[in-house]
Order: sequence, then structure tokens, then C-alpha cells
Amino acid sequence: MRSAAKPITGIFVNDDFARAHQLRDRARFASPKRQEKVPVVIVGGGVSGLCAGWRLQKRGMKDFVLLEMEARAGGNSRSGQNEVSAFPWGAHYVPVPSRKNTLVREIFEDFGLVRDGVWDERNLCFSPQERLFVNGRWQEEIEPAYDPDQFQRFGARMKELRATGEFTIPVAETAHTKTVGMDGMSMAEWMQREKFTSPYLNWYIDYACRDDYGSLARDTSAWAGAHYFCSRDPEEKGPLTWPEGNGWLVKQLLARVPVRTGEMVHRIVREGKRWKVASADVEYVTDAVIFAAPTFLAPYVIDPAPPILHREYSPWLTANLTMDRLPKEDDSELAWDNVIYDSPALGYVVANHQTLATHIERSVWTFYWSLAEMQPKTARQLLLDKDWTFWKEAILNDLSKAHPDIRDCVSRIDIMRFGHAMARPVPGFLTTRQPSTEGLYFANSDQSGYSIFEEAQYRGVRAADDSLLHLHGRVSR
Amino acid sequence: MNLLLFLSVLLIASCGLIYELVAGTLASYLLGDSVFQFSTIIGSYLFAMGIGSFLSRFLNRGLIARFIEIELMVGLVGGFSSSILFLAFAYTQDFRIALYLVVVLVGVLVGLEIPLLMRILEDRLKFRELVAHVLTFDYLGALAASIAFPLVLVPHLGMVRSAILFGMINAAVALWSTWLFRHELESAMRLRIVSVLVLAALTGGMVRADLIAAAADNNLYADRVIFSKDTRYQHIVLTRFKEDVRLFLSSHLQFSSRDEYRYHEALVHPGLSAVPGARHVLVLGGGDGLAVREILKYPAVESITLVDLDPEMTHLFSTNPMLTQLNEKSLLSPKLHVINADAFVWLDQHPDMFDFAVVDFPDPTNFSLGKLFTTAFYRLLAKHISAHGLMVVQSTSPLFARQSYWCIAETLKQAGLRVYPYHVYVPSFGEWGYMIAGTEPYQQPTTLPTGLRFLTLQVLPDMFKFPADMQPVAAEANRLNDQVLVRYYERDWNEISR
Repeated sequence: MRSAAKPITGIFVNDDFARAHQLRDRARFASPKRQEKVPVVIVGGGVSGLCAGWRLQKRGMKDFVLLEMEARAGGNSRSGQNEVSAFPWGAHYVPVPSRKNTLVREIFEDFGLVRDGVWDERNLCFSPQERLFVNGRWQEEIEPAYDPDQFQRFGARMKELRATGEFTIPVAETAHTKTVGMDGMSMAEWMQREKFTSPYLNWYIDYACRDDYGSLARDTSAWAGAHYFCSRDPEEKGPLTWPEGNGWLVKQLLARVPVRTGEMVHRIVREGKRWKVASADVEYVTDAVIFAAPTFLAPYVIDPAPPILHREYSPWLTANLTMDRLPKEDDSELAWDNVIYDSPALGYVVANHQTLATHIERSVWTFYWSLAEMQPKTARQLLLDKDWTFWKEAILNDLSKAHPDIRDCVSRIDIMRFGHAMARPVPGFLTTRQPSTEGLYFANSDQSGYSIFEEAQYRGVRAADDSLLHLHGRVSR
Repeated sequence: MNLLLFLSVLLIASCGLIYELVAGTLASYLLGDSVFQFSTIIGSYLFAMGIGSFLSRFLNRGLIARFIEIELMVGLVGGFSSSILFLAFAYTQDFRIALYLVVVLVGVLVGLEIPLLMRILEDRLKFRELVAHVLTFDYLGALAASIAFPLVLVPHLGMVRSAILFGMINAAVALWSTWLFRHELESAMRLRIVSVLVLAALTGGMVRADLIAAAADNNLYADRVIFSKDTRYQHIVLTRFKEDVRLFLSSHLQFSSRDEYRYHEALVHPGLSAVPGARHVLVLGGGDGLAVREILKYPAVESITLVDLDPEMTHLFSTNPMLTQLNEKSLLSPKLHVINADAFVWLDQHPDMFDFAVVDFPDPTNFSLGKLFTTAFYRLLAKHISAHGLMVVQSTSPLFARQSYWCIAETLKQAGLRVYPYHVYVPSFGEWGYMIAGTEPYQQPTTLPTGLRFLTLQVLPDMFKFPADMQPVAAEANRLNDQVLVRYYERDWNEISR
């Protein structure tokens, strides 16, 4: 009965494996032609690098350069735009920060998101926020409406853990003496130990770990698994979101912080008390380096290779589906975040959900998939080996469980592959520390062990403060 | 053997009554005036049965085969009777022709059944017993059907499926008879095959009955549909019963021409008359031009901007003679600018200022429409209202959707506005509510335009008084990120709808 569907087009987007692999393979680079002296160099234009710049400026320090390898800054918060909508390629929301999180509140106040303590409704996720396709129908929340006893008991346990006050954002700002034991086991082990047996609850926990960390519950520290549920204390129903996801925040940062794009740093050499940072054309001579690129890249770039904090990284895939029409809905309305129970992927987010219009005909859906079930290395190889058609089919097959007519709705699927999307908080992550190196400050969110906007900002800010301390012997206010 | 035959009598009798009830009920649904419909349908049906009984005398040979054939025909025509009638209603000019054609056809066939069966049985029983037994089972079947129809069939299966179910019973009796009379039938196999085909057709109908109901606009509309169109945005239906024209958007009643003046006078005048010298007026929603008709009663108003999403609505109400008579050609007024746009988006993108705004959106039945009832929406709208201007908001029923109504009041308040709720009785809607809102205190007007049919200065103050059963109840404000109103509205209406 199916009509001959029109062909679905699309490409792999923004594949810079080649350039990054040049570093890995220690390719030879030509020497830069000129030299530039600047007190601080920030390497990497993701959220942490941009926030380091934001902090330096707010501390009255304008004399720095921020170098970004790609043509566009943004890192995991990159975004795109087509004729239908702007859309995210990665991070797409920030929960409304609690009153205690003054750093996040400060930057959001700078961006005009909160005025006189009131959050602007238009940046808060519109109703309906989320839904789950389970047992053949959509239900309102992602938390499955089954086995309520276990969900209740789980909620009560999380409340107890929250009351310890040790599950904070940023994670490094508190001691974890009472709860550090949880970091010694996986979330799956902890669930078993606590006799949480419901398959629906265990699916939900697994989903949460895949969603936030790109790893299964069995590969995630129980402390991190609990952190997902215990660390938030929002004063307003959120989260904050925009069509381009956290790309909106990147745009705000780029309007304030100057970035030199297309400048790949291939070598950072220590010379006495100074550092020489080399990109293709320029050699920057600097007092402090803020290394905001993923930490695992440091040994390939920095000479001599500094001791680094080793993390495991989750590979991801995101896809933006251009929808020429919306699939038929029986008795449910499209939500912002739409999740399919028992799917290996994480569902999709509707990019133009935050529209004031009552009627939309076309849409862009951002499909998220953390390839958590395989070993990261295997998954990375799969990302490299399989062609676009393979992933297109996998995505459509997944979505067709909830939307049988999906193939008649989609006109384009663009796919972005991330070999090392985010650090994974594996058991033991909490107690590992980055050894310090004078004049070199690591700022990537992988330092915290997991990748969220708040941690990236915190790490950027801390590295900026450390650099200023290094330059002036004190932090000026 | 005989008992099985009498059981057949019971079954076919119940089928016969069901078709009669289906036709009568459908005619009352679709044409109204149930006393008239039921009387004429029962009359025609019984008369047609008489014709059938009379015609039975002309059937002489192969009575059993004829009986089986008639069963199959009744099964097909009767089984699909409600489907045929729904489709005829949607797609033909005069539904009555189809109605009485179906009633007479089924009646004739049903009229043939009992006489034929009695003649088949005449050699097996004494006449005295035959008449007694056949008629006993006949009336028993009728009783069973008449009880099952309102209690079980209509509520659980609906009209289309109920008829098909009994068509299947007719066909099953036919199939069964090919076995019962297998020794007396010459062409048992042929009849068996036909029976199976008929059963299959009816089963198919049973499975796809939802399509028929959808294609025929279901039984949502009590009155005759005179216009029906699926636009990009909604399903527009106009119905008419005598002089009463009704507009339905996506099956929600928007107005009845008999009492819309009450609704629209109450919507516009309490607010607009309180803004003397208002020159620029905004209407959001209201593509029917009826609010505009009321606004045009103010000579001081220089321009009216009507923002309605659906160009087909404004086109229909600018061109159709019956509708332009109703809105007094308001949509053709030179003072009017029609803008077909999403109201929230348009307000966000245009700087225009107004002295008065009429907000006449459909009820918040889903999250999309619910956006138009949020603090963010009212804050934005307030920025388009001049210093002494006002807005009025259609706010659902304070009686039937009490928490929804007071939620809208709370939402306007939290948007920083002063709120003045009032209500009016509109027969086709019931008690209906509005709110006037503005940054300045509202004073009830001392004059009204001439030529109003409902509103007077005497009744105006009472409209702002709420009896005990419509008094405020606690409700949260409706926000873009937390649309409580859609949930309130769903709960409110679920409590009273059947």
C-alpha cells in the first residue's frame, strides 16, 4: 500500500576527522611565518574556551586570543540552520540553574535570560516538554508509568542522597565524603544492590546515563548516575532551550568574545617561563595557555607532554531530519523531547518546538544516538566504516516504531559523527585529579568527568582565574 | 431441527428490528425532529414489510434457496444501511431519498422473510402451532434487539458497526440454512460460496468502519451540513436547520446564527464602549467577521485589523451570500485590514498599536492553541495596546469549565493586567465568559451604540456579577513552559461530556 517514497537525501556533516587525525598521527606541520606576543592563549572555542574568554573580559583582561581549529566555534554546542529552522548538532538545553549556582546565573543574566529574578518564558521549554512511546502508545512523561512502587522508592532514595548536599553542580565545589563510596561501583550494580528490579525503572536509569554521559548504567559510576537525579533544584519549570539548542548560548558568547577560527594549534612548546603556541601561520608567545580542547589531545600537541587526566570518551551520532510534513498523530501532541522505549537511540528533539506559532507544517528533528552498547573503540570504528545510507536506514527504522509513516515525511537527513563526544564518568572518575603544570590550565569539561554546559563554564572560568593568578600573582576584581 | 429453525426466526427478527432502529436513529441524528423521523420511518418500514409479505405469494419454486438469497440481500443492504446513509448524507444533495430508499428496500426484504419461512415449515407443523411458534420467536427477537440496541450496541459499537454486525447475523443464518436444508437444496454449494463472500464483505466493513464514519463526518453534527472543507489549518463545517446556521471549526461549535448576536454584542460592547474615541481596533481570531460587524457600529473607529490564521475562513465569510448577510458584509468594509497570520507571531513581529483588542480564539483544547492563553501572549498583546486602551478575551465557560475560566483570569493578572471578568447566557453555548483587561481601571460604559438586540445599559452591571456556582476557584496561571490551562480544560469538559 506504500506509495513510492521520494528519495531522502543527506550527507555526513562537518567531518574533521582528517584534521584531528593529523595530530594523532603526529604529522609534520610547516613552521609559522610570524610571531605574536599575547599574555593568554585559549586553545579551543567550545563552551569552556568561550567562557574562559568571557571570564577574562569580565575581569578586565582583553589581551588574549582564542584559537579554534574549525571554521565555526561552538564545540559540542555547534548548531546549524536551514530554510525551516535553526537546529542543534549537540547540546541543546540547560536546566534552570538553582539559586546557589551563581556562576551560571551570572552568565544568564548577562544574556538577558533572567531579569529581576524572573526567567523569560520564551526561553523556557514550552509545553508539552516530553513524551515516551511505550507499549504502542505515547505517554506524557519520559518516566514510564509502570511499576510506580519502585519509581517511588527510587525517588525517595534520590531525595535522601540529595539531602547529603554532596551532589552539586559544579561537581568539584563540594566534598564527597559521605557519598564517595558510590563512585566505587557502577550504577547497574547499585540498582541491583538496592533491589530495584523493575525493567521499566532500569530502562529509565539506563536511558538517563546514555542521555547525559553516553554510557550504559553498567559503565557509569553510580555516583554520576545518582548525580543526574540529585543535583538539580530548579526554581522554575524548564529547561532553557532554543531552536539551535546551546548554539544560542554560543552565539551570545561569540558576540562578546573574539575568536580566531580555522586556526589549528599543532604544537605548544614550553620555553623557560613562557609557552610558544603554533598554528599554521602564527607562533604565539604567551605566559599562560588555557587548554580548552579535549584533554586527551594534549599529549599530541604539547611538548613536553604534560601529565594528564585520562578519561574514557563516548562516541556519538547526531542527525538532523528535515521534515516536509509531520507524521500523523493519533491522540498525542508532538513534544519537545520525544523518546522511544527500548530504542538503542535517545529519541528526537523538535527544533522548532519553541515557536510562538500555533501551526507548523515543516520541522527539523534532531536525533540523538550515543553508541553506548559497544566498546567505545568498536563504536568509533563503526562510525568510520559505515556509510551514510547505513545510518539513515538505522535512524528511520528506529523512528518508524513510533511513526510508521516517517519515510513519507522526511526529505533530508544530515548526520554528524563524534568519535570523542564527551568524557564518561566511569566508576572512580570522582577521585581522579589533573596534575597541575605551571602556566598551563586545562579547561575542557572532561576535567569534571562529564560534559554539560555548567561544568564547561566552570572549568573555563577556573582556568581563566588561574591564568590571571599566574600573570598577576593575584585575582583582580 | 424445528427448534433450530425457530432460533433462525428469532435472529432474523432481531436483525429486522435493528435496521429499523438504525434508520430511525440516524434520521433523528442527521435531520433532527426525532418524533417525526421515527414515526415516518417506522411507518414506511412496516408498510414496506407489508409489500414484502404481499410479494411473497409470487415466489413459488425453490423456497429454501429464495429464503437464503433474501437473507443474504438483507444482510448486505441492512448491514451496510448505516454506512450508506452516512455517506449519502455527506455526499448527496438530498439525504431523504437515500433514507427512504434504504428503509423501503430493507422493509420489503424483511417482509418476505417470515412468510417464506412459514411456508417452508408448513409441512412440518400444524398451522396452529406454526403460527404460534413463529410469531412467539419473532416477537422475542424484536424484544432482544430493542433492549440491546440502546444499552449495548450504540454505546459500544456505534451505528455503523451495529448494523454491520446484524448484517453478519443475517448472512450467518443464510450459511447455516445451507447446512440445515442441505438435503433439500440443489445448489447448496453455490449458496454457501455466496454466503461466505457476503460474510467476508461485511467483516471487511466491520474492520474499516472507522473510515466510513470519518468520510461521512461521523454523527457530530445534529443539523444538515451545508458546507464542509478541510483547510490547511482546520476542518470548517457549516450546518443549517431551518434558519439556524452553525459554524464548526474542527468539530467545535463557533456560533449559531440564532443567538450569535448575544455572544458578539457581549464580546465587543462592554469593552469598546468604555474606550471613548477608540480609533484603531485589533481582532484576533474571529475570521467570521461577526465581531467586526459589532465594531463597525462605532463611527469613530478608523481602522480594524483582523488577524486570522485561515484565509479560507475570511474568504468564505467575505463571499458566501448567506454568511455576508449574517456579518453584514463586515469583511468587505474599507476600514478593515485582513491579515492571515499566526496571531502570536504577527504580534511579535509588528509594532502596530491599538486602542482596543478583541481576542476571540477557539478554546484551549490543545497545547498549540493553549499558547494563545499564556502570560507571555498577554504581555506581548499589552504592549500593543495604547495607554487607556483595553482588551477583551473570550475565556470559555465559567460554568462548564470553571477552573479554566478562572485560570485565564489569573494568567491575565500575572501578565500585569487588571482583570474584569463577566459572563452572558448564549443558548447554543450555555453560560459563556469573557474578561476585559487593561493597565488602567475599567469603568462600565454610560452609552452603547444604537441598534443592539441584546445588550442594554441596564443588564450590563449584572453581567459582572457571578452566582455561587461560577465564583472564582483557585487556579494557576497558564505559561508557555507550564500550560496548566490545557489540563484544566480537558478535566473540566471530561466531567460533563458524555
